[in-house]
Amino acid sequence: MSTSTTEKPKSAGAGVAGKASSVLVRVGKAVGGVVGVLYQAGRDTIDTVIRNIIPFMAFVSVIVGIVNYTGLGNALANVVAPLASSLIGLLAICIFCAIPVLSPVLGPGAVIAQVVGVLLGTRIGAGDIPPQYALPALFAINPQVGCDFIPVGLALGEAEPETVEAGVPAVLFSRLVTGPIAVVIAYFASFGLYSSN
Amino acid sequence: MSVLAATDTSQAQDPTGFFGVLAHAAEWFIGLFQAGATNFVGLLTGIIPLLIVLLTAVNALVRAIGVERIERFGEMAARPGIQWYPVRYLVLPVLSVFFLTNPMCYTMGRFLPEKYKPAFYDSSVSFVHPILGLFPHANPGELFVYYGIAAGITTLGFGLGDLAVRFLLVGLVVILIRGVVTELITARLLARNTRTEGALA
Repeated sequence: MSTSTTEKPKSAGAGVAGKASSVLVRVGKAVGGVVGVLYQAGRDTIDTVIRNIIPFMAFVSVIVGIVNYTGLGNALANVVAPLASSLIGLLAICIFCAIPVLSPVLGPGAVIAQVVGVLLGTRIGAGDIPPQYALPALFAINPQVGCDFIPVGLALGEAEPETVEAGVPAVLFSRLVTGPIAVVIAYFASFGLYSSN
Repeated sequence: MSVLAATDTSQAQDPTGFFGVLAHAAEWFIGLFQAGATNFVGLLTGIIPLLIVLLTAVNALVRAIGVERIERFGEMAARPGIQWYPVRYLVLPVLSVFFLTNPMCYTMGRFLPEKYKPAFYDSSVSFVHPILGLFPHANPGELFVYYGIAAGITTLGFGLGDLAVRFLLVGLVVILIRGVVTELITARLLARNTRTEGALA
């Protein structure tokens, strides 16, 4: 702004130069803004990777190492693989995880879902479970998502205590119905997935 | 001299007896973690580089668009009527999970009337995993719900795109159903609670 006022009394040539420099300033600011946003995004990303992702990878690696090396994986596969390779078995896993008393216990941090996911993934990789069951399995191991977090989540949405009182059982009961529905939908949606081999 | 000879022979063959058992136990113990370490390096080189680039791009996009614009949308979803169900339990949860990410996405519930809040929470919390296949920035702390199973698909040599897209699409259908079902159950529970309170008073 100060440049425009100082340029006014000068000649036309100086005015053009002033305009050019103000354009340059604007372009510079815009580019600076974009670079700033990207840089901050990168900073956030590295922060999440170091704080959330790599620690979990370390934890998962320890479990996978132990499970594979001790032969526990093969033992587990004999139990889980037949369950996870049929619709009925997946529904059984799902209904078990969705039982209103169990679901808040299984929920925190999605740790159970992640560990079971890793185990199933290992078995799919080993060929014990057909790959097209990956999709329904993703829903079968996870009907308890967020069940530990309902009061907090509702509080974040500024809900009244009466709403929380009705909301907690409502979500828990709803999961018992919608969990198996999700598995069935995913089962039908998985037709044609990785079956061309 | 005789001592030297004794050590030579013991080095030539595996130790037996007590020390042999110890040595085998140590080898087994280290092998346990060696297997984990191999897995860890596989994850670091396989997932992290793509994830960092993708997360940075999406984080920048979210910052460029701005969170305030999503909030304006939240007020629209509060309207009654059947045509607003997909807005409330499909568009709003997807936008809030994408832009606000877990756990801040649940704050969007504050634009809705009390009777819709549990259903909105249910449908948005159910979307924090289906979104992971394509947009892992939304819930990076719980990545392995998806990546655990996806790792098996990678081992078999298949591409992950098909699984990620189908996971997302089925997730969309499921959160809509969850929203509607939970809204019905909440309405019944709220009505019952107020009735019992009236009887007590």
